[in-house]
Amino acid sequence: MIKKIYLIGNPNVGKSVVFSRLTGVHVVSSNYPGTTVEFIKGYLTSGNQKIEVIDLPGTYSLEPGSSAEEVAVSLLKEHSQDEIAVINVIDSTNLERNLLLTLQLVEEGFPTIACMNMCDDAVHRGVHIDISKLEEILQIPVISTCAVTGAGIKLLIDRIKEARSVSRSKLPHEERWKEIGRIIEQVQNLEHRHHRLRELLEDASVCPISGLIMAVGVIYVSFKIVRFIGESIISRITDPFFYETVQPLLEKMTAHWQEKSFVFHLLIGDLIHGKIDFKQSLGLLTTAPYIEFGMVLPYVISFYLVLSLLEDIGYLPRLAILLDNLLHHLGLHGYAIIPVLLGFGCNVPGILSTRVLESKRERFIASTIISIGVPCVPLQAMIVGLLGAFGGFYAGGVYLVLFCVILILGVILNRALPGYSPEFLIEIPPYRFPPLTMLARKLYFRVKGFLFEAVPIVLIGVLVVNILLYFKLFDVVTGLFAPVIHGLFGLPKEAIVALIVGFLRKDVAVGMLAPLGLSAKQLFIAATLLAISFPCIATFIVLWKELGVKDLIKSTLIMITVSIIVGAMLNFVILR
Amino acid sequence: MKKVSLVHLKPNHKGRVSEISGGLGLRHRLMSMGLYVGKEVTKLSYIGLRGPVVIRVGRSVLALGHGMAMKIIIEAE
Repeated sequence: MIKKIYLIGNPNVGKSVVFSRLTGVHVVSSNYPGTTVEFIKGYLTSGNQKIEVIDLPGTYSLEPGSSAEEVAVSLLKEHSQDEIAVINVIDSTNLERNLLLTLQLVEEGFPTIACMNMCDDAVHRGVHIDISKLEEILQIPVISTCAVTGAGIKLLIDRIKEARSVSRSKLPHEERWKEIGRIIEQVQNLEHRHHRLRELLEDASVCPISGLIMAVGVIYVSFKIVRFIGESIISRITDPFFYETVQPLLEKMTAHWQEKSFVFHLLIGDLIHGKIDFKQSLGLLTTAPYIEFGMVLPYVISFYLVLSLLEDIGYLPRLAILLDNLLHHLGLHGYAIIPVLLGFGCNVPGILSTRVLESKRERFIASTIISIGVPCVPLQAMIVGLLGAFGGFYAGGVYLVLFCVILILGVILNRALPGYSPEFLIEIPPYRFPPLTMLARKLYFRVKGFLFEAVPIVLIGVLVVNILLYFKLFDVVTGLFAPVIHGLFGLPKEAIVALIVGFLRKDVAVGMLAPLGLSAKQLFIAATLLAISFPCIATFIVLWKELGVKDLIKSTLIMITVSIIVGAMLNFVILR
Repeated sequence: MKKVSLVHLKPNHKGRVSEISGGLGLRHRLMSMGLYVGKEVTKLSYIGLRGPVVIRVGRSVLALGHGMAMKIIIEAE
C-alpha cells in the first residue's frame, strides 16, 4: 500500500513540471538548477485513493553534498520502504549523468520507477533510448514522458503501483560509473548530427568574446522589450481607461461633494487646478489605483514576461558564467546574478532565492546588496515615470548611482567580513523553448502574486497617510527630521513623509513626491534615497526570516550609513 | 601526452582527468556530476581573468570556478 510518492531527480530535469502534472498544483519551474529549494507537497488522486506527492529538491546523488541534497535524503528515509514509491525523473537527453542517482536509489532498495522526461527533446537532439532494454537491465518500470505536453503522464500514474524494491549489489562510486557506461552502451544510440543553430548559440554564449557580445545584446533587447510592452500597455490600455472612463465617472460622482470634507480628502484627495490629477491628488480612488494599475502593473507584466522567457530558455546560467569574475570581487560568485535579477522584479523573491548560494556570508552580502542597490519594478516604474519627464539622463543617472553603490559596498563587505567566497560549480542547461501555455501560466501566477501582495498595502497605505495628513499629524515628524532632510539632502521637509511611506511601499512613496513640486535634482536625490534606504516592509520581514535578528540589524545599519553618505554626496558633491 | 590543469588546457581540446587534487568533498561533488578520474572532457571555453572554465562532460556542460579548475589535472591528447 503506497502512502507517499516522492519525486526525485537531478536539478533541471523538469521535475517540477512532472509534479504539477501529477497533482495539479502549480509550481514555478525554471530552466536553471535550484528552483525548488524547499520541498513542495501535493496530492495525486488515482481511482478513489488520494496519495501525498512530495517534490524533493534537485540532487545529483544520494550522498549529501549540499543542503538541498541533505533535505532530499532525510525525507526519503522518513517512511519504511514498502509504504513509499519513488519517481526518479530523468532527463532523457542526458541519461548517463542521471543514471547515477537511479542506480543509487535502486541499490538502496527504494521502490523506484524511472520517468524518462523530455523525450521529445531527446529525439530532436538525436538521442535514441531503448526503453524496454533499460527496464530489463534496471528491473524497474521505465516510462518515457514529456511533462510539458503531458505525454506519458497517464501511463506513469498507472504504473506507480508496480514500483517495488529490487535487490542490486551496492557499488563503490567508480565502479558505478563503469556500470553506467556499460548500460549506456546497450540502451543509448546517438545519431550523429551536425551542429545546428541552437547548439551553435549554446556554445557561443559561454565563450568570452561572443558570450559578452550576446550578453550585451540580450540585456539591451530585454530592456527595450520591457519598456516597449510597458509603455504600450500604458498608452493603449490603462491611460485611456483612467482618463476617459474613470475620471468622468469620478467627476460626476463627486460633483456635489464638499471639496474640503474628510471623505472627499480620503477618496479623491486634492484637486490640482480644479481637476482630478491621477498622479498628484493622492486619494483612495484616484492616485492609489492609478499608481498600481496605471503605472506599475504594466511594467510588472512586461518585466516578468521577459524574465520568465529568459529563465525558461536557460540563458541565465550563461550570464552567471560571464559575471562570475566581477561578482567574486563582491564576495559572491556568478550564480548570485539570479537572486539579483529576481530582485529587480521584487526584492522579496530575490532575497528568498539567495538560498541558492551556499554560505551564510554570501547570503548576507547578496541580501544586503539587493535591498540597497536593486530597485524593484514598482519603484523603477515610478522613477522612470516621474524623473523621465526631466529627460532620460536623470532616470539613467539613478541606475548609475545604484550600480556604483553596489560595486563599492560589495567590495567593502567582501574585505570586511571574515570568510571567503566559495567556488562556483554549476551545470549549464541546454536552450529549451518553453511552450507559450507554460510561459503564460507562469506570468499569470507571478502577476497575480504581485496584485495580491501590493493592492491591499497600497490602499491601506494611502488611507493611513491621508488620515495622518488630514489631521496634520506628520508635522511633528517633519519638524524633527527637517535638519537632516533639508540640511543634508537638500529636500523640502515634507519629503520625509514620502521617505517614511517608502517603508510601506516604494511606488506610493514616489507618488507622494509628485505633488511636492521638486526640482530635477531634488527628485533625483529623493528617488535614489528611496531605493537605497530601508526596503519596504515585506522585504524587511523576509530579511529578518532569512538572516536572523543579528544580521538584520547589521544590514539595517549599513542601509542607514549608505543612505546618509550617498544622499549627502549627491547633494553637496555630485549634483552641485 | 602532457598534464595540465583545466585552466591551461586549450579551448576545444580534449583530455582525460588524471587527478583531482581537491579534498574529498570536492571529489564527491564532481563525481556526482559525472566528473571523475579517467573521464574524458572537452574544454569549451575559459572566460579569462581568473573567471570560470566551461567544459563538456558526456552530454552535460559544466562551469567551474577558476580555483576549482586549477585543481583538476588533465592528461591532454
